[in-house]
Amino acid sequence: MKKHLSAKTKWLIVIAVLLAGFVTVNSATKTGGWGTRAVQSVLTPFRSATSALVRQVERYYNYVFKYESLQAENEALKAQINSMEEGVRSADSLQRENERLHQLLGLAAEHEDYHFASAYIIAWVDSSWKSAFTIGKGTNSGIHEGLVAVTEYGQVVGLVTEAGSNWATITTVLDSALDISATVASTGYNGVVEGALATGSEGLLRMNYLPTDSVLRNNDQVLTTGSTVYPRGLIIGYVTDANFDQTGVAKYALLKPAADMDNLEQVFIITDFNNS
Amino acid sequence: MLKHVHLTKSQWLGILKWSLYGLLTLAVLLLQSVVLSQLPVFGVKLAPLPVLIVCVCIWEGSEKGGIYAILATLFWCLSGSDFGNISVAVIPIGAMLSAVLCRAVLTLRFLPAALCCLGVTLVNASAIFVFKLILPPTVAIDSFWRILLPGVFLSMLFMPIHYALVKLISRIGVHDAL
Repeated sequence: MKKHLSAKTKWLIVIAVLLAGFVTVNSATKTGGWGTRAVQSVLTPFRSATSALVRQVERYYNYVFKYESLQAENEALKAQINSMEEGVRSADSLQRENERLHQLLGLAAEHEDYHFASAYIIAWVDSSWKSAFTIGKGTNSGIHEGLVAVTEYGQVVGLVTEAGSNWATITTVLDSALDISATVASTGYNGVVEGALATGSEGLLRMNYLPTDSVLRNNDQVLTTGSTVYPRGLIIGYVTDANFDQTGVAKYALLKPAADMDNLEQVFIITDFNNS
Repeated sequence: MLKHVHLTKSQWLGILKWSLYGLLTLAVLLLQSVVLSQLPVFGVKLAPLPVLIVCVCIWEGSEKGGIYAILATLFWCLSGSDFGNISVAVIPIGAMLSAVLCRAVLTLRFLPAALCCLGVTLVNASAIFVFKLILPPTVAIDSFWRILLPGVFLSMLFMPIHYALVKLISRIGVHDAL
């Protein structure tokens, strides 16, 4: 087969290898990544248009084919609201107590310091090994690397890991690359949450370094502990399972992410918060 | 300014052909990153773009097809693909070798082309997987048959349509040249 390779083909093979090396070095250096920025900026309008088209088609499909199921879901939700209203009435007394405690401790009202930028998702990363997506806003809208993305309910979605003028890449909490310092709301156990993709539990999160004697219950809420990156008290997920890690010393818990990643359309980036 | 550019009919047809390949590549890239990335099949995301790149290279030959493969893979890599730097080397080299293999040793038909596409996508996915095994955050080894193999084989479902479209586009200008 070697004799069938023309000189030009051999040169192209050399160029491909050199380009791969150049791209690796370029993306690894701090000043690099200009190629990515240029291509992403060019692609963003196409991705936004395609994404908007897909949303329209999805809405039409849902209207045509899911009307009956939506009606049934509506009825079920009405019943759920009734039962929740009952819960709210009993929670009112607890809330009043809570407010008093807040005043007692002199705490400021929660989250008043947050500043948000909203953005629509225009593309998801096309690899099964990574969980990240691109939004149609970037540095022009005040979005830069290291900002947290949440849902409208304050559930953590991920972290801005790359940003261009009109786009930004958000790595979700499902990706094993992110580590979030977290605490179990009901008991106060601290640990570190990361995506469980690497451990073979796709779609779940793993809370590591829990104390050996920690007692966890299903649906225990896990919140951010608070750091310079993640504001305190954001909901990360709910405990679904717990076990000992390979060392047998520390415990880990598997969490269901609070944010519904499969149906995300829009996210809110916390552009500023008071971390004191 | 364009009236001063004198191009022959076959050159215009060549521009048309490569523009159509470019549009097809963009359409498949958007399909892959906007639509298919949100709709995992059996938990895996499908990647029809490498299949298209190999198809074009096989039909256009290792020289013109090789240049296309390098540019298309580079564009895909810079658009934010995971471990795209590995693909920049593996896919064009695999596509060029496939083109030589199909033209010199095998025949330019669907089955040899499909086998070459399968081979290149499998080698590319495996090369990325090896790096994923080594570099943190590492992946579990059993994800090779749980995620990688289903992903590669399911992506091959796009092969017939890619093959048909590329065959159709590759005919542009052929009669004129004869």
